[in-house]
Amino acid sequence: MALILTDEEQALAESVRKFVADRSPLTSLRHLIASGEPYDADVWKQMTAQLGLAGLSVPEEYGGVGAGYSALSVALTELGAGLVASPLLACILAAEVLLRLDDETAKLELLPRIAGGELIATLAVASHAGGHVTASGSGADVTLTGTVSPVLNGAEASVLLVPAEADSGTVVYLVDGAAAGLTRTRLTAVDHSRSLARVTLARTPARPLAGDAGAALAAAQDLANLALASESAGAMKACLDMTAGYARIRVAFGQPIGAFQAVKHRLADMEKSWELGNAAVRDAARAGDAAPARFSVAASVARVLLATAYAEAVVDTVQLHGGIGFTWEHDAHLYYKNGLSNKVLLGGPSDQLDRLADSLGI
Amino acid sequence: MSDDFRTRARAWLAANAPRRSSGDDDGAGSPTTIADQKAFQAKLYDAGFAGLTWPKEYGGQGLTNAEQIAWSQESRDFDLPNGAFFIGISMPGNTILEIGSEAQKKRYLPRMLRGEEIWCQLFSEPGAGSGVASLQTSAVRDGDEWVINGQKVWTSGAQFSDYGAILARTDPTKPKHNGISMFIVDMHAPGVTVRPLKVATGHSPFNEVFFDNVRVPADALIGEENKGWDAAVVMLRHERIAIGTMGGSRTNPLGYDTLRDLAAGLGRTSDAGVRRSLAELYARGRAAQLFAVLLREEAQAGRMPGARGSVAKLAGSELGRFAGNVAAEVLGDQLAGFDTDELLAVTTAIVATPGSAIAGGTSEIQRNIIGERVLGLAKDPGVDRSTPFNQLRVGTQRQN
Repeated sequence: MALILTDEEQALAESVRKFVADRSPLTSLRHLIASGEPYDADVWKQMTAQLGLAGLSVPEEYGGVGAGYSALSVALTELGAGLVASPLLACILAAEVLLRLDDETAKLELLPRIAGGELIATLAVASHAGGHVTASGSGADVTLTGTVSPVLNGAEASVLLVPAEADSGTVVYLVDGAAAGLTRTRLTAVDHSRSLARVTLARTPARPLAGDAGAALAAAQDLANLALASESAGAMKACLDMTAGYARIRVAFGQPIGAFQAVKHRLADMEKSWELGNAAVRDAARAGDAAPARFSVAASVARVLLATAYAEAVVDTVQLHGGIGFTWEHDAHLYYKNGLSNKVLLGGPSDQLDRLADSLGI
Repeated sequence: MSDDFRTRARAWLAANAPRRSSGDDDGAGSPTTIADQKAFQAKLYDAGFAGLTWPKEYGGQGLTNAEQIAWSQESRDFDLPNGAFFIGISMPGNTILEIGSEAQKKRYLPRMLRGEEIWCQLFSEPGAGSGVASLQTSAVRDGDEWVINGQKVWTSGAQFSDYGAILARTDPTKPKHNGISMFIVDMHAPGVTVRPLKVATGHSPFNEVFFDNVRVPADALIGEENKGWDAAVVMLRHERIAIGTMGGSRTNPLGYDTLRDLAAGLGRTSDAGVRRSLAELYARGRAAQLFAVLLREEAQAGRMPGARGSVAKLAGSELGRFAGNVAAEVLGDQLAGFDTDELLAVTTAIVATPGSAIAGGTSEIQRNIIGERVLGLAKDPGVDRSTPFNQLRVGTQRQN
């Protein structure tokens, strides 16, 4: 299938873009910063109940729209461009793990509510340095002990999926947000549009989910790569447009600053990096729907490229705006912090390259 | 229809095209002779695979970008011995197709596609490369003919070319962009002298070409008199798109497949850093391929790549630089001294990488084009755009 957007995808992109402009422009993020809220509940309700965004990658039989990964990528690109704060990424990753496991009861109970936006769920994973969890007991008496940090929307989730080490190996457990011994502490997030928490479990009751945990977690990692790459592609394009726009109007030494090669060439490189990353995202999105055997590699390619490209672009964005680019009032720093954070969440470039090398059989 | 085409293409290539045996192509020209290349191109033409997107009345197949994409994908594993025609078809060919006269299209395009005539591009001069608009080769009208005098440089394939598309100054009293014309020149005409130029790799992929009172007929003009800069812009646009979307062969000596196999053979894949570099090379190479496909798909949908061809060209040369660094990491000190053909091929390719950031428009020029024509940024401050050419300084100046 072709890389370019179908008419339907184009229409979805436009409707999400309009939604962001009308209901959640960057000023909304500033309100959240001031209020300390993790996200705007009204915006989340509209994203889910009206636009169905949390159900795009959930099959219809589980209450979703079944639109697929490409549609999800298109929506995330527009949301990323607007730095929209929401628990969407947390929810779709949790949903993906549930879908890949074999607990039909859990799927039927939870997925329709996640897809509809009524239930906030999250997958409690972080890097090796972020902690780990062990399981003890068996049957109805399994408890989990350990720490995972940072966890996407860990403090807002009503349901957590927690991978832990049992005697048999890695198992994914379902933990209720109100469970005994569970503490969620909201962290200071460098990126104002992400809510992250430390999740601590102390003999917390948990329900094991049957199925291939390794495969489910790998699928979630691949989806996370596509999702973060998509958000970053959208945000990077927003930075490119904003910075090129400024370079066209800001005059110094008698010329718009874009006339000078030091500025012009840096923007040209940003355009080039974005085009390459965008092509990789489109391919990964297509592979997710039409060529699942190569989806993992394609998503890794997109993530590897955009993690670095976007993180560099946001620095260039501040730089090319000069002094004002470093002020609180200007939007550049909002993207800068998003770039820093997107690069390291759920596996940074080194981890992704190691994983890609494994997949390629190097 | 594209699936039938793809099936046909695949079968024909399998039966007629040699698979690539070892990487050696850094612009030195394929080891096959010109006669072999002409024979292959003729076969390609007869089988209906030449000029896929050109109109049928000029020898093409009248197909779409979908078929062009399919052909590029199917031919990746093959070493098509027709590199001698790449420049002619993609540059003067596409330019004549776009702005040439009906007579020129009918006379020259079919023979290009059939492999009967080989073309070169005569733009750069010793004093005018990135600033090609400052060219000094002159064309003076004499009755029904123009008389051309001057020197061109970096001319790929001039040594076996039949025709060339040349830029010459027809009015030195006008500002530099306004007094240039483009002509078709017979490379075997009296007064044309071709001398090879040797590069860092020891090969001679291009030439100097001297014009000493070379005569061309009035109808050799491509486009209008003194509108040659517009024609040049058309040709350069095609050049960037062609180079940028050319794609790498799987046996490219600096490609992921080759370097991964080389690393494995040298026992380097146990090194975590080497593994990461190879994985990153895979990712960067893949993205460049995908971008080329995206540009073709957009063209198919009616959105022409235009100046974004420069993005592709820049991406390609930056990828080459990155790949060269990865190759050096893989080879370690084997790069410094070696005695196998395999390592010769890789190190030659490493030595050649700076060339791709200069030839076909330097990376600095590509960035200017991207900044100005894709991002709409202001042009560089210029001091010579409105001065009559005969009052300008050009090229390398002596210091007194």
